[in-house]
Amino acid sequence: MRVADILKLLLLVWLAIVIVAAFLYVRPAEGFIGESSRIVFFHVPMAWIAVLAFLVSCVTSVMYLKRREPKDDIRASVSAGLGLLFAVLATTTGSVFARIMWNAYWNWDPRQTSITILLLIYAAYLALRGAIDDPERRASLSAVYAILAFVTVPFLVFVVPRIYWSLHPDTIINTRGANEFDSRYTQVLMASLVGFTGLYVWLYTIGCRIETIRQRRRQEVL
Amino acid sequence: MSRLLAEAMAVAAKDLRTEFRTRVALNALGLFALTVLAAVSYTVGPYRITAEDRPFLLAVLLWIVIFFAALAGLDRSFVKEEESHTAPLLRLAASPTAVWLGKLGFNLILIYLLMAILVPLFCILMGYKIMLVGGFVLILVVGGYALAVITTIVAAIIARAMTRGALFSVLSLPLLLPLLIFLIQGTAGASVGTSETVVNTLRAVLSMGGIMTIVSAMLFPVVWSD
Amino acid sequence: MTDLLGIMVVTLMIWVGLFAYVYRLDRKVSRLED
Repeated sequence: MRVADILKLLLLVWLAIVIVAAFLYVRPAEGFIGESSRIVFFHVPMAWIAVLAFLVSCVTSVMYLKRREPKDDIRASVSAGLGLLFAVLATTTGSVFARIMWNAYWNWDPRQTSITILLLIYAAYLALRGAIDDPERRASLSAVYAILAFVTVPFLVFVVPRIYWSLHPDTIINTRGANEFDSRYTQVLMASLVGFTGLYVWLYTIGCRIETIRQRRRQEVL
Repeated sequence: MSRLLAEAMAVAAKDLRTEFRTRVALNALGLFALTVLAAVSYTVGPYRITAEDRPFLLAVLLWIVIFFAALAGLDRSFVKEEESHTAPLLRLAASPTAVWLGKLGFNLILIYLLMAILVPLFCILMGYKIMLVGGFVLILVVGGYALAVITTIVAAIIARAMTRGALFSVLSLPLLLPLLIFLIQGTAGASVGTSETVVNTLRAVLSMGGIMTIVSAMLFPVVWSD
Repeated sequence: MTDLLGIMVVTLMIWVGLFAYVYRLDRKVSRLED
């Protein structure tokens, strides 16, 4: 118990330092308007977590189909819920950034399109879960859908940008492709990624515990 | 292997026969496509879009009509089984993979039928000039296949859920959007004449269709035998 | 410059508040489990 508490406190301090560093330790990066590069320290990790959560959801879905253990289904749905949350956060911070940089909240550049589709996948997954009463059927059908959705994502992330550019040379630069970052920038970005991952893991474990309790309660009532 | 094919064809044939008797899916697909086509043709017509925007915008319109018509009609084959309570019988009569193949075949026929009527009409009414006709046809064939594969497995999933109608579109759309993007790019490329875009699109759509076929084939038994 | 500091302070407050909320939730769940 004590070790876990120390880790959580560490997370608190870690991300607090990241926040301070993002504003005071780092100089605004080249090629970005004003201070907008600072948003990246939060936006990129959020998008990363949205994708990571999706990965977890899919892996646990596969495990559910193999072992048929309810806890795998719990993991899949909890991760999907978190993924949706972070996807929304990523989209919001991303569009704020887009407004500053390119004067428009939304541009449908490949990254924005990818995160939108991820959002839609999450929403569809949760809608599917909401539409099925029987717990076992709900678990297996949503597991199937999670796997199907996961299969389409690599196309989104890797193939669409390549094809998209050839027909629509956009004036929008993919900021993650810009490699002009100085070392401080990379340090803080990495630290932020680690911190956010820690936050995700914590929220994930809490979510799973809550769902397990809920399910146990339901069994007891029956 | 041939037993599988025979069963699959029997399933498809049965679906086709029932469909031609009641024509629910055909009506949904056809009416939707023709209505939208009429509306678009009337309001936008062949002259309102500037020459440089035409290849792309007309590609967008064409595929949107095809996709939404598909969403209107392609869930029929599974929903019908659940509604008329013939599903349990079908489970006993044929192996899951045969059922999947049969339903896929049925949906493929529906899609290609839709395209055969809609696409020429669209090109005529909207004055859509295609430079690489061969590439365009290939894109239609491959795109139609990918569309059918994805909608078939999703239809199987939602047939086992409760609120079916809206759920089919909600679940299909995220999976179909990347496909849609590819097909639009490719069609625009075929219209303009850039064979590189067409080849890229064909490659992407073929691999997507291929992967979805394998994954659907593996996952369908799980969905079906619940 | 002060605008930036302002945003930083707000972000910090949001983070600490969020952390406190989740920590209490964690505590509550632990109690329910025992």
